[in-house]
Amino acid sequence: MDKQSVQVIIETLKEEGIDLAVTLPEEPTFSLTEAMREDPFFQAVTVAGEGNGLAFCAGAALGGRRVVFVTGIAGLLVGTWALSQMGMVYGAPILILASYRGDFGDHSGIPGSQLLMFKQVAEPLLGALRVPYRIVNQKATLKRMIQEGSFACQDYSHPIVLLLSGEVLW
Amino acid sequence: MKRFDCLRLLAPMVDPYMLTVTSLSSNTAFWSDLRREGANFFGCNMGLCIPFALGLTAAFPKRKVIALDSDGSLMVDSSSLITVADVNPPNFVAIVMDNGSYARMGSTFTTRKTDLEKIAQGAGIANTATVRSEEALSAAIEHALATSGPHFIVAKVEPDRVRVKGDPHRTHGRFMRECFVDAVRRHPDYQSGKKERLTGS
Amino acid sequence: MLAVTSLSINAPFWFNVRPQGPNFFALNMGLCLPFALGLSVAFPKRKVIAIDSDGSLMNDSSSLITVADVNPANLVAFVMDNGSYAFMSSTFTTRKTDLAKMAQGAGIANASTVKTLEEFSAAAKQAMESAGPTLIVAKVERDAGRVSADRSRTSGRPMREWFMDAVRRHPDYQGGR
Repeated sequence: MDKQSVQVIIETLKEEGIDLAVTLPEEPTFSLTEAMREDPFFQAVTVAGEGNGLAFCAGAALGGRRVVFVTGIAGLLVGTWALSQMGMVYGAPILILASYRGDFGDHSGIPGSQLLMFKQVAEPLLGALRVPYRIVNQKATLKRMIQEGSFACQDYSHPIVLLLSGEVLW
Repeated sequence: MKRFDCLRLLAPMVDPYMLTVTSLSSNTAFWSDLRREGANFFGCNMGLCIPFALGLTAAFPKRKVIALDSDGSLMVDSSSLITVADVNPPNFVAIVMDNGSYARMGSTFTTRKTDLEKIAQGAGIANTATVRSEEALSAAIEHALATSGPHFIVAKVEPDRVRVKGDPHRTHGRFMRECFVDAVRRHPDYQSGKKERLTGS
Repeated sequence: MLAVTSLSINAPFWFNVRPQGPNFFALNMGLCLPFALGLSVAFPKRKVIAIDSDGSLMNDSSSLITVADVNPANLVAFVMDNGSYAFMSSTFTTRKTDLAKMAQGAGIANASTVKTLEEFSAAAKQAMESAGPTLIVAKVERDAGRVSADRSRTSGRPMREWFMDAVRRHPDYQGGR
């Protein structure tokens, strides 16, 4: 993720009043999570597993914090159990930024078998969990997508996933 | 010790502004009966009680948040203890009701070799205790509520003899969630950080 | 002897050290130890070694509890603890987390931390010659660069086929009877 995208995302999250940033570091979004960690506006929390990370976000969100969880498809897979509870059952308003590993344009170099799996699983998984999502792959619409995603998150009171891809991620 | 007696011991020690989270098991039925006020999140499924409570500490940093978990639930995601140690919130208290069983379905690992307190210490939580008597439990709770945490207490209890039904309408799912959020919104500290931000800068 | 590695540099390094024999490479976060545990149950008379990483183990530390309970004498788990998530930020082992202590809490009596090559050598030798399960946390430095290995041997379906081929030819293989 280049500096420009990181900047736009951080600026927009601040405008949305999202000041709790939770992650388990992963490569595609690392520059974003590092920048958030260094920015005093955010309370930055690193978690040991995405499952407990998502439950943490839910507790904070239902408790009144504005929270963003930064992860990837792999993290959503690990956190599927937590997401099923905190989403479908409890409707916790968690904004999730997830790198769309395996989407076209992923030249990151991880094995093709993994990339293919992520590509095949990502969207059906979110569909199965009934988590509304959008693919965010253009810089021109990045800001608006985050604003809309954040609004929807609060309005529906439900986790929302923005799958980062294309020129936004790579 | 009996789980209900432990919870009954805890109830008067919790002030109306503390927040509580329970796991499934009779923690939910018993605690929902004993605690009628304040913000309480009941019936968190396996592995989710402690991290959810941890998240609440970030929403209410000046109030004690008490997670009432169970041994089986914690063991599904013991990595949550690492996250607790790292976030290191002074207002976090976990009390794990360890009856060494999965409901009515056989024993968990704590009846064999697993020592949850030691796992918590390995994870990096300094303030830990395992208690086997009501006196010890009372002292541990008093200490946890009066001092800076995070605190982690394992209470060894007998398996419950009877199934307690409680009131599933009030203690599960969407209705429970609405009651909880309603109590949270009426809490004097709700989004106090946000208010400061709105008025301050 | 069968071997299982996590992601990270464990996979290409191990491939370069022992390319032949039943090796399962590059299991994703949290999966290395439980997979190795399963393999130890399939081959009870052979040593099974897991070459895991600190971040991976912490993703699912509950696997330690399962290991302790199954209690396989033939399992030896190495946790290469470089205190980091790949080339990213530090893990909890650089702060307060002590994985050997968590393993002991889980019920694995033979759990230790080693910091020098001599200590590692002694602990590994001991583990390979005695009954386990044994867990050795090896404190290592972050690797300076990336190492490559033949992808067709160390990832995905092709790796799995090489592994299954080696397993089927193993004298103790119990499947397909």
